[in-house]
Amino acid sequence: MRRIDSPARVWGHYASLIILAIICLTPIWVMVSTSFKNEVVIFDAKPVWFFFFPTMENYDYILTRGKFDRYFVNSVIVATVSTFLTLFLGGLCAYALARLEFKGRRFVANSTLLVRMVPPAVLAVPAFAMVVTLNLNADLVVLIFFYTALNLPFAIWLLFGFYKQIPVELEEAAIVDGASPLQVFFQVLFPMMKSGYAVAGIFTFRIAWNEFILALLLTGRNSRTLPVGAAGFITDTGVEWGRIMAMGTLIVIPPLLFTFFAARQIISGLTAGSVKG
Amino acid sequence: MSGVVLRDVVKAYGDVVIIPKLDLEIYEGEFVVIVGPSGCGKSTTLRMIAGLEMVTSGEISIAGKDVTYAQPKARDIAMVFQSYALYPHMDVAGNMSFALRLARVPKAEIAERVQRAAEMLELTPYLDRKPKDLSGGQRQRVAMGRSIVRDAYCFLFDEPLSNLDAKLRATMRTELAILHKKLERTMVYVTHDQIEAMTMADRIVIMKDGVIQQIGSPREVYTAPENLFVAGFIGSPSMNLMDAELTRNNGALYVKGQGFELPVPGRLQERADTAKKSNIVLGLRPEHFSAADRGNGAFAPIELAVDVAEYIGSSQFIAASVGGKNLTAAVEVGPDAAPMESGTYYFDTERLYLFDRESGQAL
Repeated sequence: MRRIDSPARVWGHYASLIILAIICLTPIWVMVSTSFKNEVVIFDAKPVWFFFFPTMENYDYILTRGKFDRYFVNSVIVATVSTFLTLFLGGLCAYALARLEFKGRRFVANSTLLVRMVPPAVLAVPAFAMVVTLNLNADLVVLIFFYTALNLPFAIWLLFGFYKQIPVELEEAAIVDGASPLQVFFQVLFPMMKSGYAVAGIFTFRIAWNEFILALLLTGRNSRTLPVGAAGFITDTGVEWGRIMAMGTLIVIPPLLFTFFAARQIISGLTAGSVKG
Repeated sequence: MSGVVLRDVVKAYGDVVIIPKLDLEIYEGEFVVIVGPSGCGKSTTLRMIAGLEMVTSGEISIAGKDVTYAQPKARDIAMVFQSYALYPHMDVAGNMSFALRLARVPKAEIAERVQRAAEMLELTPYLDRKPKDLSGGQRQRVAMGRSIVRDAYCFLFDEPLSNLDAKLRATMRTELAILHKKLERTMVYVTHDQIEAMTMADRIVIMKDGVIQQIGSPREVYTAPENLFVAGFIGSPSMNLMDAELTRNNGALYVKGQGFELPVPGRLQERADTAKKSNIVLGLRPEHFSAADRGNGAFAPIELAVDVAEYIGSSQFIAASVGGKNLTAAVEVGPDAAPMESGTYYFDTERLYLFDRESGQAL
């Protein structure tokens, strides 16, 4: 039965939600508002929170005089290609772990996530050493390779859980119905795995899009991604907050769009009704 | 040779042998039910026919074609799974037409076949629903519809009714039997429920530990069980089995145990004479007990100490003991009779069974 809460309880509930929202949204507001301020307002001794005369000069500068377009293209390439690779390889590995019997399967399935627990900062130096030793050019392929490697364990672990939820009878039914292995995958499994791939995709894309340390170390002048580009506004002569924040605001938009798009694929209980539980 | 034929089929996982050696011939158009306790290898047998499990050795042929190593789709079979296994992202029509779409059947024909199957199974109003919006019985019918549209040579059922409630199960049993009459296809049905086996099968295959115990019509396996396992498995409530020995009294042969002595019927005299007299198991079906002597000379008295009598309408199930051994009897006494009490009951000796205790085989 539904409990009827007292008004005080309801108010307390909403008050705590509002406080949480303020905590989360304040930095975003600071970023967005600062991006529309000129230097004078930004460095005013008394911070201006809401009422100021907005200016587009920061956006104008980064979009016309910086290398924003190149960084943006680099970021899009790195994030989408590594996300695609991660989902593709991760999906295959997860399927194998969930369905096939082989030696060491349990160990691999249980220890995959451990690899993900290593922070990227720890990997930075060995990664750099590896790139130098192998004489790889500082280009996007290297970054894509590292992001894929970095994200694979998490994607495998996540998709493994989703695959395990799909009853094996569904695959068998499809096989008896005359489906080839590829048809089983694309027409039966994949539609049910959409949620899993969407979740894994959101995580992978965000990490690849936002990652800074490896990108800083492993990219050259022409292969920088957006976060590294934004850091370029920290110069010897000072920190150009307005431009950094304008760049930050623009950086946030694509993953936001991607998340909204991907999240629409997330439907819980997708296998409901397929088998009697 | 048409039908489904399994010859010298062996199935093992590593060192664990599930099915030591199996020979089975299912005739074309026949409804065969494979029945047995869980773990007896019945589902494995069905899955080997389907091609979902490979045989370790032996041969399987369907419609005269050797399919031992053929892919499931090359075997011309349709299968209904215990868990239904409906595709959750497709509606009912999509589920039913999936196999046809894979086989690139023309659209008009797919629509027609789905429509026909839906009508047969009374699913027409639900064709655009997703499985999650259907009841258990409807899902079960969709699973069946999915195989019917295939128009396959052989239909395989893996305990398809075990997830339904008792009433629905009885209805679906009838529908399946009707379906078999309409389609006239070979059907192999696996279940652990002997009632399903008895009511639907043309022939029943009873399995235990991967070995076929008996093959026969429902009447044959009920009236002439070949061994102790079949005797105890078929029939509900199950047959009472009691240790006994054969004795001769005034020239007549009796089967005697603690608390009872019943004459051996004429049909068993000859074989009982040659059997080992001291190592006998007596089988008495509960429904062959009677509260009164029916007076045809076949009924022999037996003293029962009644523990409890269960009222089930026109009959009563009696939990009793004879010579300290528990026993069940089902006596027809009419719906108004008082609960039965201890005393003399009668058993139809024409219908008693004798088994050799060592081999378990019927005499």
